[in-house]
Amino acid sequence: MTLTLLDELLLFSGVTVLVALFLGRRLPAGWMVTILYGIQLLSLLKMAPLGYGGDPIPSTLILEVMGQTLSWRFDALSWYFALITLGSALLSSWYACGEWEQRFRQAGGNVWLFHLAMALNVFSMLILLASGDLLSLFIGWELVSWAGFLLMAMAGGVATRAAMRYITYAMVGAMAIFGGIALVYVSAGSLQYDAILTAVSQMGTPHLWMLVILFSAGFGIKMGLMPFHLWQAPAYAETPGPGSAFLGAISSRMGLFAILLVLVKLFGIVNIESLKIPFTLIDARDLLAWIAVFTIIFPTFTAMKQNDARELLAWHGIGQGGYMLLGLVVADAMGAAGGLLHVFNHATYQAALFMAVTAVIHRTGTSDLNKLGGLVVRMPLSFMVLLVGIIGLAGLPPMNGFVSKWLVYRSLLNEGMPLLFVAAVIGTLGTILSVYKLIHNIFLGQLRVEHEHIKEAPWSMMIPMLILAAIIFITGLLPGIPLAWVASVQEAVGLSVPNYTLGGVESASGSLDMIWVIGVLFAGFGIGALVFYSAGKSKRVHQLDNYAGGHFLTADIRYQYSDNFYAGLMHLIGGWYRGSFLWLEKSVKSLVEFLSLGMQGIYRRANAEFYLLSTALFVIAWVVI
Amino acid sequence: MNSMVVLPLVLPLFGAFLLPIIMRASVGVGLWVGPAILLYGCWILGNQWISGTAMPFSLAIGGFAPPMGINLYVDSLALLFALAVQLLGLIFWPFKLDPETARRQALMLLLVAASTGLALSGDLFNLYVFYELVAVATFGLISASSTGSAYAATIRYLILSGIGSVLTLLGIALIYSQTGTLNLAHLAQLAPEQLNNKLGLTAFLSILIGVGVKAELFPVNTWVPEVYATAASRVSAFLAGLVSKLALLIILRLLVLIFHQQEAIQVMLFLGILGVVSGELAAWRAKDMRRMLAFSSIGQLGMIFIALSIPDQAGLLAVLALSFHHLLVKSGLFMLADGWGGAIENLRGAAKRSPLAAIVFILFSLSLIGMPPLPGFWAKFTLITELAAQTSPLYLIGLAVFLLATVIEAAYLFRLAALLYRPVSEEKPIDTIPKPAGVSLVSASLFGVGLLAAALFITPVGELLNHVAGQAANAELYIDTVLAGTGGGR
Repeated sequence: MTLTLLDELLLFSGVTVLVALFLGRRLPAGWMVTILYGIQLLSLLKMAPLGYGGDPIPSTLILEVMGQTLSWRFDALSWYFALITLGSALLSSWYACGEWEQRFRQAGGNVWLFHLAMALNVFSMLILLASGDLLSLFIGWELVSWAGFLLMAMAGGVATRAAMRYITYAMVGAMAIFGGIALVYVSAGSLQYDAILTAVSQMGTPHLWMLVILFSAGFGIKMGLMPFHLWQAPAYAETPGPGSAFLGAISSRMGLFAILLVLVKLFGIVNIESLKIPFTLIDARDLLAWIAVFTIIFPTFTAMKQNDARELLAWHGIGQGGYMLLGLVVADAMGAAGGLLHVFNHATYQAALFMAVTAVIHRTGTSDLNKLGGLVVRMPLSFMVLLVGIIGLAGLPPMNGFVSKWLVYRSLLNEGMPLLFVAAVIGTLGTILSVYKLIHNIFLGQLRVEHEHIKEAPWSMMIPMLILAAIIFITGLLPGIPLAWVASVQEAVGLSVPNYTLGGVESASGSLDMIWVIGVLFAGFGIGALVFYSAGKSKRVHQLDNYAGGHFLTADIRYQYSDNFYAGLMHLIGGWYRGSFLWLEKSVKSLVEFLSLGMQGIYRRANAEFYLLSTALFVIAWVVI
Repeated sequence: MNSMVVLPLVLPLFGAFLLPIIMRASVGVGLWVGPAILLYGCWILGNQWISGTAMPFSLAIGGFAPPMGINLYVDSLALLFALAVQLLGLIFWPFKLDPETARRQALMLLLVAASTGLALSGDLFNLYVFYELVAVATFGLISASSTGSAYAATIRYLILSGIGSVLTLLGIALIYSQTGTLNLAHLAQLAPEQLNNKLGLTAFLSILIGVGVKAELFPVNTWVPEVYATAASRVSAFLAGLVSKLALLIILRLLVLIFHQQEAIQVMLFLGILGVVSGELAAWRAKDMRRMLAFSSIGQLGMIFIALSIPDQAGLLAVLALSFHHLLVKSGLFMLADGWGGAIENLRGAAKRSPLAAIVFILFSLSLIGMPPLPGFWAKFTLITELAAQTSPLYLIGLAVFLLATVIEAAYLFRLAALLYRPVSEEKPIDTIPKPAGVSLVSASLFGVGLLAAALFITPVGELLNHVAGQAANAELYIDTVLAGTGGGR
């Protein structure tokens, strides 16, 4: 028996968990784990042919349990997601080593548990991505859920509460999937993908509806799709810094992976499109698209109101998931490519953003947007990384987020879905407004006195951030690199493939070449710079050396406010924020409480004999009559 | 060799009567009697298990062949339960030394004897006798903790159980009046003609409700929370873990052999669903760990009743898997509750005081919820695939309820787990946090190890249970074995 490349990868990943578990209490454990992530990544790169249309690689491990066959294998889809997983794990773990780790330990954090939880997350994600049948998919799914719970809950306090909320949602999702799997098993007689493919083609409409609802709800909960989005932002935001970078980058994309695998590959978009909703003009696919669009809009505008940088980013994470799903359900070559490419792009800029914010927390001790400001001169590199990140997040050139969003927009227009297009643009508007709030309140405006002597983040944290920033720019300039992987994913799940080039896509209905776009952009910058530098000398003053109205302003006078940031806008749209979903969540909880009270009442009653006799009488009467 | 099987039933019975006398003569010897008997019982049953479970056999007692005489029916299911009884008797052995020791140990031996009899008995009347004997032994054991609330709980349980027994007896009487026999195999032969009517249905339902008192069936289980919250944890563990399963075994035998009416099954399914709903919801608000476990046990038993309403081999496999899983997990959890009883709020930070206990608790919780690859997942998986395969809509409702109940289960179990890990306030000294006693913790860890072993060897375990279920679901085999007397005799 020879080990396949996949066995090797899973083995390395398992070893990482063991190292974190047994050697994790030693000091350089962080570095060891990071190096092991690097080895895992190398082992994944050995499978690179998968990203260019290679044949799936099986694992030699096959289990027979209770009449079920469990198997694992990697195809282009798994490889693409695994690449993002391991990349973000490597960089987050690297970021955590060194100074951050020391500070975390001093603050009473458990570094051992942190590295262990990260390693477990990566391992379980790889298991999930490698799943070769629906049962191993479910096993991987549950492992990922609980590993995520561990990472989210470990900080204690607020974090544990958020994690509890997460795990309740996740259990709802898991049970929906579990029920779906049972139904699939009954109609297909097996949980192997091939058997399901044939069974789907013979399934009746009600059955298929049921399955689509169960699976999309189950997988959607992990993605934070509306109306199951409430758990995600607090849970991710409260995770220790590098952990939230990792979770924000990839964790909820596991939901998208499963949707791709089950809804797109096994059920097929065509079948989903055939499910019409009676008395309306829309079908199940439109329904999913609208859910995606609402998932873009509501969380994005909720993000705008956040006053904590991490919460703001986490809410955006939910909204960006909407773009991915939107692109996927449009399901033409460009849209699907856009949705899939956005997974990669989002991971890069979201990780960079969380890292930059964590760097600010590391130096200032807060992520409260009302207590920061003017750090651009103190932490210029972090500022650059955050700037690159938010340009990516907002989907503007020259960063990679632009390419994926452009593809999604283009496909919406090509496919004749103007309403969805407008809604998506509204979402982007909200994104731009809120990321401006983010960068302004942290880095621009007035420097606070207490932050006067702050230094740039340490290099152990800076290097991963810079690497991410470089990736964001390079894949913005040359989107052809990830598009090649995306194309093989599309082929693997049975979607049509766009005609991509190194600089973008070529198509009769609209082409994009980022090399040209960025060339023109930088030419513009160049002209601007020429004008700026030829205008003559400027005088440098200290950041706290200000005056207004002819008076000097001492540093302790606040003359520039960041609180209540978009007051004017909120005056217009503030009434729209009603917290309806919070209300809904609360009422479900109260309902359970109420029912629970009633049930306890039944058991508290002293007249137990009465129950017994009346039940007996009732049953006998029922028989006789 | 086969007749040796009687010994694990007879020896504890004798032991129970002789123990007080021996104790009076010499405490040192007396203390060893009980464990020795149980160990010997384990050894015999274990040997029997190894030497062959391929074919069941029947053992006529008193020299008359069935259906006239009494017989023990030994198939792999009965053996498995008998073995579990002896093992758990050993694990939960009341070794505590105080003036009550002799009484408590005698009662425990009686309980073991009666439970073994319940597992092996081949006719309805003996089942009833052993069932009553179990009841008597448990009353004594519960009240042995001699607190006021324990007495109150016992009386409630006693009354309920008494009425239940009357109902059971009524059912048995109905069957006897119709058929003139109480031998299960003989009944199985006669049932299609004589019991496939309203009378038969009434008989089954009275037995179901009567026996349901111990099996924690929905409306007749109101004794459960009080008793489990007040009795000694070891007794609760034995009751929740094993006695409830033995009561289920009676119903299982009746369903497989005698009663095949759709109505009977539907009533059971319906009550099972209500049990899941009421138990899990009530547990959500429970403010005391033992009470929470008691309610969760009601919910779990409800799930087993749902599984029991699919009386073919696959359904029985689900019943067995769920039962044995529940047996392992709930016994272990009750062992942890020994020391973790009282208000849940007091458990804040308990993980710091006893990290092992907290980890074992999480392991049990995860398995109870059905987290793969722990055995609980496979048990639930067999159940839901079976449920989904049924055509009647009530089964689908059962499936939905089952899934929702799991969510609630996860929520309350992990609320407690999170509490265990919550940091303690500074001024509270760590010694004041409750902690499970050493022995309880060791037994709980043993159950945990058993659970992990089952997870590792899930393939052989699954095959084994499937074999057991296949044998148990085969009514013809039962009839042939008993009435043709293969392997019988003394």
